[in-house]
Amino acid sequence: MGLLAVGTPLEWPEAKKVAGHVREWGIEQLLAIWRRAKGKERDALLWGDEIEYLVVAFDDEKREVKLSLRQADILTALANDADLLKQGGGVPDLQRGHKKTGKTAPTFHPEFGRFMLEATPGAPWGIGFKDLLDVEHDMKWRRQIANDHMYASEYPITMTTFPLLGDRKSITPWYAPSGPKLRSQFVPDEIANPHIRFPTLAANIRARRGRKVELNVPAFHDEKTPWPFKDPTVDYDMHNWPEDDDVRNGAAKENHIYMDAMAFGMGSCCLQITFQAKNIEEGRKMYDQLSPLGPILLALTAATPIYKGFLADTDVRWNQISRAVDDRTPEELGEAPLKTDRWRIPKSRYASNSTYISQDPRLRREYLDPDLVVDEELKQRLLDGGMDDMLATHVAHLFIRDPIVVFAEDLEKLDLDKTDHFENLQSTNWQHMRFKPPPAGNDTGWRVEVRPMEIQITDFENAAFAVFVVLITRAILSFDLNFYLPIPRTTENMETAHRRDAVLNDKFYFRKDVLPKRSAKTNGASGPPSGASTPQLAPSRPASPFGPVEDEYELMSVDEIINGKPEGGFPGLIPLVESYLDSVNVDVETRCELAQYLALIRGRANGTLWTAAKWMRHFVRGHEAYGRDSVVGAGVVYDLVKAVERITVNEGRDGFAKEMLGECREQG
Amino acid sequence: MKLILSTSNIMGAGASIYRPNKSKSNTEIVSSLRSNFEAHSPPPTPTINGNPITTNGDSSKSQSKPSYKSWTRQPTPTTLEIPALDFTVSALQEEREQYDITLKLFYLPSSTTSSSSGASPTAARRGAQTREALDLVLRTLHMPSVDLLIVSFPGIYFDEEEDCPDKLSTRGPVEAEPEGLESQIETWKTLEKLYEEGLVKKLGVAELGHERLKAFLERTGVKPSVDQINLRDCCSVPKDLMALAKSKGVELLVHNDCSNILPRGTVRELLGCGEGGAGVLAQATKTGDKRKSLHGEEGKNGSAQEEGLRGEVQPLWVVKYTAVVKNRGVVENKGYFAVAEVTA
Repeated sequence: MGLLAVGTPLEWPEAKKVAGHVREWGIEQLLAIWRRAKGKERDALLWGDEIEYLVVAFDDEKREVKLSLRQADILTALANDADLLKQGGGVPDLQRGHKKTGKTAPTFHPEFGRFMLEATPGAPWGIGFKDLLDVEHDMKWRRQIANDHMYASEYPITMTTFPLLGDRKSITPWYAPSGPKLRSQFVPDEIANPHIRFPTLAANIRARRGRKVELNVPAFHDEKTPWPFKDPTVDYDMHNWPEDDDVRNGAAKENHIYMDAMAFGMGSCCLQITFQAKNIEEGRKMYDQLSPLGPILLALTAATPIYKGFLADTDVRWNQISRAVDDRTPEELGEAPLKTDRWRIPKSRYASNSTYISQDPRLRREYLDPDLVVDEELKQRLLDGGMDDMLATHVAHLFIRDPIVVFAEDLEKLDLDKTDHFENLQSTNWQHMRFKPPPAGNDTGWRVEVRPMEIQITDFENAAFAVFVVLITRAILSFDLNFYLPIPRTTENMETAHRRDAVLNDKFYFRKDVLPKRSAKTNGASGPPSGASTPQLAPSRPASPFGPVEDEYELMSVDEIINGKPEGGFPGLIPLVESYLDSVNVDVETRCELAQYLALIRGRANGTLWTAAKWMRHFVRGHEAYGRDSVVGAGVVYDLVKAVERITVNEGRDGFAKEMLGECREQG
Repeated sequence: MKLILSTSNIMGAGASIYRPNKSKSNTEIVSSLRSNFEAHSPPPTPTINGNPITTNGDSSKSQSKPSYKSWTRQPTPTTLEIPALDFTVSALQEEREQYDITLKLFYLPSSTTSSSSGASPTAARRGAQTREALDLVLRTLHMPSVDLLIVSFPGIYFDEEEDCPDKLSTRGPVEAEPEGLESQIETWKTLEKLYEEGLVKKLGVAELGHERLKAFLERTGVKPSVDQINLRDCCSVPKDLMALAKSKGVELLVHNDCSNILPRGTVRELLGCGEGGAGVLAQATKTGDKRKSLHGEEGKNGSAQEEGLRGEVQPLWVVKYTAVVKNRGVVENKGYFAVAEVTA
């Protein structure tokens, strides 16, 4: 989550007053970066992954599992670990060691939930293929280190959400819900990281919105589920806060599981990958080309079938996070006529992205989002500052939002060597892709963050998906692939990815012809694949005119997108990755390890291997204590989380959870 | 007449990159040669006005291909570039040290010289071929040297211990017996000169099993740094090979090429005047090769039939080159040259 500056945060009405001020300074800071770094060239591929954990505490005698709220203690223990510091690891926000020799130890970071930890590699990865093999070891090392700094009864699991979060019982130590910041009837304020940034974030989102956030997840309709389903855990008689009226005003929807706090979304764990591009142009291209893959990656990694003790009828976390931080007012939502707010806004701050930013000649105007809202004044300022229209539009779109957390001390003087105001808006626009300018004060280049994936139970799976995305980016750049799709289709795909077993049963809009058109080139003068700005030689025959955009894409299953269509149709992302690997020098051990990763993804896509969502749903429905009524009781959850721990340790080698992991681990 | 076939950079070149799972692994070179020929030959001109809508096979009857001479080049009386080569612009954008450049040279099965007859003529011929291949690539990439040169000898296959049925299907037609070690070692000596001249930084071999690799390591001056083997999906490297490679610092790399990457029939098909052919070779006069002559072809390609080269075509060698930006893992340039001989 980063940005743990300390200061005096403004409460909402004050923060709103200075919003314009923060935006303007943010734009000036961005322009300073732009001027400094737009010509930055020849940066290496460096990349990093982020793994987020839930810390659970088992009570084996009582057969109970709870969320442990000891994040701060665990981080302190990690920060004071002399050995870890010696190897360059630790907790950068608290203390960080200096690297001595050998591999840099991983680093740990606080996250929104007080039951969460985030861990990243101590140093970024490169593209040396042997680096790719270190990823999984490092992830295991991270989990081991985290576990070593916990109580024996605790364990860092990588489930997206804790199945009993919000049951008013399953946290330790226990606190009562209905605190002043979150005002949730299900979770206490203490569920959030106590650093002032986090409660302020939650409180100001709620205040801006004018009511609590509202998360309604479709309930799974099982044989004995009372239908229509009315969430039986909702308390309609609470009168501690004005927001307690929300449920009496219909906030909890029929046939849905209802939740009312940021913690239900931002308490989810994700797998995120960040790449450094060669230059701004390559970064913009990667941002665009990876964007249509987002919903596919989301469906493939589906791992979220349970909320608040109920089986959901959806498989992924995305929309819940989106709603958990949705600060839009009734006017912005279109529920009330526009009076004081500036515009209606179609999406939450956390949503699939709405812009393409590359200056790629293949980008047709028809692909852009026709409903895009931009702040025209800020856009003009960016244009005046020398930024091109495409990128200025992107930023002016992100900057339609208000900053949520503003520290009074930061408003005294504009510092163009810092990026805090820009980052304030940038880092609270949680889109599925993020384009990141170089930070101040070091040599980092332009970066792209890939954010849609759900965390997987094992480090093997997390490494597999991380490495797969890396290889896809290399294939995109090497083969000059074209995945452009009209942005509204990606938005629709994101919804499709939520459906139960979408990976097997649903179809997604995807571009039919992703391979570049060959333009005749003389033998020597074939430009680089990424050379959008390289003058093209005249083709020997006229380029075919653009046909209708609708003819460029069609509905495909995830299997077709990943594994390809038979008989020479869509090639498939895995065959493309394999073609890429065939074009570079890879040693046998690396290739065999990569083959295991690709086999996992191939299996997930063709249905021979189950997603974690399907596996967990199956586990619950097959449990003797499950009453076929969508209720996932504490006993079932204890067994489920125990099973997850077992899978984490054994990765299917003991024959358990083979439906999910298959034989992948034994092929080597 | 010597024919130099080339693909130019195939990385940005569409369908040639896609390898369907079960297809032969020389699909890449064959389809990228074909598409490069098509890209360079001017479109057929309609000889009859009218019927502009028809796009299927029928309409092609009314069109004639322009002569291959319009898009190929004869730099010397005995050499034909297909298509014409142009080395004026560098294919690479960055400095030499940014790249990892690999060449893989496939010596193709020879019909004229039996592999068992004296090693030296074979070695001398291959030495010259290697230099020619290297020269073409260096001129294409505008680079003074390459990082790795891997040579692939005809007819030898590294033997996997375990069953790997997929693999057999990727070998391509077997047109050569495994040749003797002697001639390979002799050939290697000619490669060592390239190393000594600084044109090649590392030398490698392909498909050597434990025994052959051991012999190579014992009997060569500049040792192979790389042994490239085809594993397909079966990740079973024989333990003795793995141990030998590790102990001698030989890197075992994976490839997915078939050794007989360009069989004779394939060249004839690519260059012939049949459907999809480049119209460089005249129709074979041997009855056995006439099966391709279907309806309409003679009329349609009449000019090619008249001016096309006549004789036996014999592929000699193929070189594959790749230039990868080292610290970004991006393949910036990849292509093939193939050289064949037409003898009357």
